[in-house]
Amino acid sequence: MKEDRKTIRFVVIIAVIGIGAIAAVMYTHPFGAPEEKINWNLTLIGTAEKVVTFDELKAMPSYEGYGGFFSTVGMINGPFKCKGVPVEDLCALVGGINDSNTLWVSAPDGYMMVFTYDQVKGDFVTFEPATLKELPHGELKTILMYEQDGALLSEDDGRPLRLAIVSEDKLLTEGHYWIKWVDKIAIRAIKNQNKT
Amino acid sequence: MKTIHITVLILIVAVVVSTAIYQQQEQEETKLKVIYAGSLIVPFEELEKQFESWHPGVDVQMEGHGSIQVIRQVTDIHKEVDVLAVADYSLIPDMMYATPSGEDYADWYVKFATNQMVIAYNNQSKYADEITESNWYEILARPDVTFGFSNPMLDSCGYRTLMVTQLAESYYDNQTIFDVLIACNFEPTISVTQEGDTYIVFVPEIFEPHAGKVVVRGGSVQLLALLEYGGLDYAFQYKSVAQQHGLLFVELPDQIDLSSTEYEDDYKKVKVRLGFQRFSAVDTERVGSPIFYAVTIPKNAPQPELAVAFVQFVIGEAGQKILGDLEQPPLVPAEGSGVVPFALEPHSKPI
Repeated sequence: MKEDRKTIRFVVIIAVIGIGAIAAVMYTHPFGAPEEKINWNLTLIGTAEKVVTFDELKAMPSYEGYGGFFSTVGMINGPFKCKGVPVEDLCALVGGINDSNTLWVSAPDGYMMVFTYDQVKGDFVTFEPATLKELPHGELKTILMYEQDGALLSEDDGRPLRLAIVSEDKLLTEGHYWIKWVDKIAIRAIKNQNKT
Repeated sequence: MKTIHITVLILIVAVVVSTAIYQQQEQEETKLKVIYAGSLIVPFEELEKQFESWHPGVDVQMEGHGSIQVIRQVTDIHKEVDVLAVADYSLIPDMMYATPSGEDYADWYVKFATNQMVIAYNNQSKYADEITESNWYEILARPDVTFGFSNPMLDSCGYRTLMVTQLAESYYDNQTIFDVLIACNFEPTISVTQEGDTYIVFVPEIFEPHAGKVVVRGGSVQLLALLEYGGLDYAFQYKSVAQQHGLLFVELPDQIDLSSTEYEDDYKKVKVRLGFQRFSAVDTERVGSPIFYAVTIPKNAPQPELAVAFVQFVIGEAGQKILGDLEQPPLVPAEGSGVVPFALEPHSKPI
């Protein structure tokens, strides 16, 4: 009888510790909370102009693949599982893009990059994550990512929309293409700047 | 049975107590956030180690970026940073001193290190036993030789490469160097116009070499990997980067390598105009000038006193020795400009 009581006390202590641990995990990683409404407008400029909300973009056909990048000093990020809308599909909403155009992608923090038509179609140099050695790749897609590893992007990762270069292979591309907080995509005719 | 219970309880208590102590220690550690230009990665990792060993309880958190991105972390992305170090001193007054929007992120800088442009290679590079200061442009032009440089839109070493090759035309009295090495290998091409005694290099918005002879990558990291794996014979690099990675290199004449204040007026005669404005806060024109690294402390630094101690360390004797030992030539004494904190004045002379 005395032995039974000891056993029960032991089980109760373990149970209390277990419940405490579960409560702590739930507190730091809540689930079941309603998904936050994201107010974000993406402006597309081509032969027409269109503003797409985050919800409208998320409702478009998506593409999932793997991709990662490295920084100026070689710091590697990813590869991640990335989900988003192909940039080419977004271009199609405002008249499409062809090889006489470039794509100007910008964000409210003042950052901007210009992409060639070939890059929009996925023509990038890819690198092996462990060594940064250049590797050939299969089909690449340039997407506007909204989910990374199954979750919406965090603020630091460019919430809510980030440009990403993805494929079925877990390869890296140069980090300056991975524009965070994208809010504007403009299709422009190639400008001849050369002075002679 | 009783013994087992007591042992389990003791273990649990030990874990809880040690976790609490660890968290307490973590909370007590002071964090110093330092953001630096990518080419400083080797000496700054050592500076971090030594500064921490002399300041127990301080955790120096280092982050490397391109120089413009270093400053944007404060001015555009609004991160709280204690110390900034960039590879082009002029970016600090241009981007951080009283901005058009009225914001004022810094009002001083100290130049603390220098660098120079070189042509890096290794033993496997074609004609490695022939290349010299006087024939490098002929070797690079040979049809079976490949060479690379970083994208001038993205990296200071990239637009400085264009400056070096343009300056080379005057120095070697050969008006074809830029065309043969650079312009001919790009489609759309890169053109140069002359205004008085100044040359302006126009970089198109699409910057792509059209043949395999020239390789352009985003930064030094990728070019170093290509050199290592035999994908490239030569690369334009900073001397410090070539030395830190054990590469061979050709030193260029002072008149063109952007290292010397003596030739400052000559360097100014080349400007590079970039094809698009990658950062809204920075214009598209880069003017040739001697390479000076500079450091500052943003006005909203969370740990301003500790930041001053770190800068004192960088520009003081110990820091200069670390820089020198790791092939990053220190500027001795460092040179201060603007409202330099009083504590740093003994370590630097005014410009």
